[in-house]
Amino acid sequence: MRRLPVYLLLDCSGSMSGEPIEAVKSGMQMLLSGLRQDPQALESAYLSVITFDSSAKQLVPLTDLASFQMPDIVASGTTALGEALSLLCQCAKTEIVKSTPEVKGDWRPLVFIMTDGEPTDDFNKGLAEFQTMKWGITVSCAAGQGANVNTLKAISPESVVMLDTADKQSLAAFFKWVSSSISTSSKSVNDTKQEIGVDQLPPPPPEINMV
Amino acid sequence: MALVKIKATDGTQITFDDKMIGQGGVKDVYFTEDRRHVVGFFRNKLDVYGKERLEHIVGKYRDSIFSQDGGEYWKNLFCWPEKIVEYNGKTGVLVPTYAQEFFFTHGSSTPVIDIKGREKEGKWFANPWHRYCNLDKREIGDWRSYLNICLLISRAIRRMHAAGLSHSDLSYKNILIDPVSVKACIIDIDGLVVPGKFPPDVVGTPDFIAPEVMQTLKLKISDKSKKIPKRETDMHALAVLIYMYLLCRHPLRGKKVHDMNDENRDEELAMGEKALFVESNKDTSNRYDIKWVKKNEPANRYPYIAPWMDLDKRPYTILGPYISQLVRQAFMDGLHNPSARPSANDWEDAIVRTIDLLQPCQNPKCEQKWFVFDNTTKPICPFCNTVYKGMMPVLNFYSKRGSSFKLDNHRLMVFNGTRIYPWHVNRNVFPNEKLKPDQKKAVAYFQFHNNFWYLVNQSIPKMIDITDNKKIIKPNEHIQLTEGRQILLSEDEGGRLIQVQLVQN
Repeated sequence: MRRLPVYLLLDCSGSMSGEPIEAVKSGMQMLLSGLRQDPQALESAYLSVITFDSSAKQLVPLTDLASFQMPDIVASGTTALGEALSLLCQCAKTEIVKSTPEVKGDWRPLVFIMTDGEPTDDFNKGLAEFQTMKWGITVSCAAGQGANVNTLKAISPESVVMLDTADKQSLAAFFKWVSSSISTSSKSVNDTKQEIGVDQLPPPPPEINMV
Repeated sequence: MALVKIKATDGTQITFDDKMIGQGGVKDVYFTEDRRHVVGFFRNKLDVYGKERLEHIVGKYRDSIFSQDGGEYWKNLFCWPEKIVEYNGKTGVLVPTYAQEFFFTHGSSTPVIDIKGREKEGKWFANPWHRYCNLDKREIGDWRSYLNICLLISRAIRRMHAAGLSHSDLSYKNILIDPVSVKACIIDIDGLVVPGKFPPDVVGTPDFIAPEVMQTLKLKISDKSKKIPKRETDMHALAVLIYMYLLCRHPLRGKKVHDMNDENRDEELAMGEKALFVESNKDTSNRYDIKWVKKNEPANRYPYIAPWMDLDKRPYTILGPYISQLVRQAFMDGLHNPSARPSANDWEDAIVRTIDLLQPCQNPKCEQKWFVFDNTTKPICPFCNTVYKGMMPVLNFYSKRGSSFKLDNHRLMVFNGTRIYPWHVNRNVFPNEKLKPDQKKAVAYFQFHNNFWYLVNQSIPKMIDITDNKKIIKPNEHIQLTEGRQILLSEDEGGRLIQVQLVQN
């Protein structure tokens, strides 16, 4: 069975503390229970969580949905988005199964990045690494007005979404949309196009603006 | 929540609750006030053809199936749109709510999988890890449940095709099944295809897309060589569906790697141009062994998946002679030759005859409980390897054609509780939606008593024991089954003559 790897890169910098980080936690919980109700996603999707504040950490390695345990997320520090991208590449290199004559390799990973601020580290270094690898759909989300849309456009030129504020309702809507995007990807067939793109994802709810 | 009152295009009033209950691929769905129907609004604006198609679906096509002889029968098998509605510039359809048995009563035995009360999407039952690990044991039925469900699905597709319609996106996503009450229901009928009139708007669902469609997926719609879903692609999807429900594995997903560097391309070739049956005896390059399965499946799922993916222990031939023949036709002869694929009618016919070959497994702990008689003198359950012990009558059917009797390709396995129905008495009666109420009743049964098997006549007017000087066995009389005994069930044209064969093991 081919696995569908999904990486969530979540900003846990100090500015996320309070309502936003709580919303991220409940959003994650919702995403998880939603995907577990979808037999296709439950079969094939594998989830990893990478958080970034002053540094980046992989809180949960790529894990199947049934055994996935919710990590404890705390908000503090700055926004090491560049490091998060580097770490993502490292994780993907070790975790993604490549095809061999004996083994069916994984699908290309889906990457969802959520941040509420500007990167405070060497972003370009991480970005350069990120661009050398092959990904499935990458979506970046600017949560609230503090996030730099142009930075995110550098990561995923065609799929940046924006939440007006990083409040509970908007983040819930975002995670719900991520959940249905993973569901859709786990059963989509790319028609006519060479590469799968964000237009194959379900339309985002009103809280989410496509940039 | 707020109730919204709108008028359907036929003028009737519909009230729905504006709290969305679900989002499908193309529609947003809401309950009507009485919750007996749902309204599904298409998110995208429909063009003129789209609207015309809906009008046909709720009108002419619906009538052609439901207003005919046996129409009532289809109400359980199809969740068919009834009316068209318009609201806020969006078009929608009014569809009956799914019957209660299509929602999980117990759901999963794993607490984190919260599906109690959710729809019984077929996929839950097609993957052995879901069926035997994730679902509650009380939800999964036994092997006979799935064989009967396949019969229902074949029958529904046969009816659709007979009306000149194609489903175009047949998959375990668009069929709800209930192995407990043995029911199936085709849903999402608003995408129906009428060849030459309404083209499909989807290519299908992975696992079920026909090779010719997959192969030409990237061609533009204007390209004449692009293959789109139609009746023959439904026939491929139906074959895959039946194979998956009965064997819990995919017929084309094998070990062959077509493109090591590009998974999308590999998938496209494996399901398209290079599609190859995993159990093909002509080309075994896609066949896997259990070692390969171990390498390719997660360790915690392996115990549930391995028995089903053991192609040596559970080859497709355990499905019996009739279904095996169609499996070969679908995945070897017809895989790349759509016109050679078995029709839904072929499947229906083969499954009906296979049901008569079922025998109960004598191992009380057998998970599957039933298996198809393997035509040998030492039948073994292919699921738990228990050898069947005891005396087992097999009845060979002949039928009257003009002045002589000819062998039918149809046998009946006898066990305690086997019954004779009107379609056994006469070959011209077929068990389908056209049966009249009195034709659904058993007319004779079998009983094992003091080491002998007996056939007890209940209501066959003239049962004749040919072997015993054409003695008439009246209703409520019985006859002992002995090797070679010939019993005539009806003297009418098509009437059946039984020849008894006793297997002693």
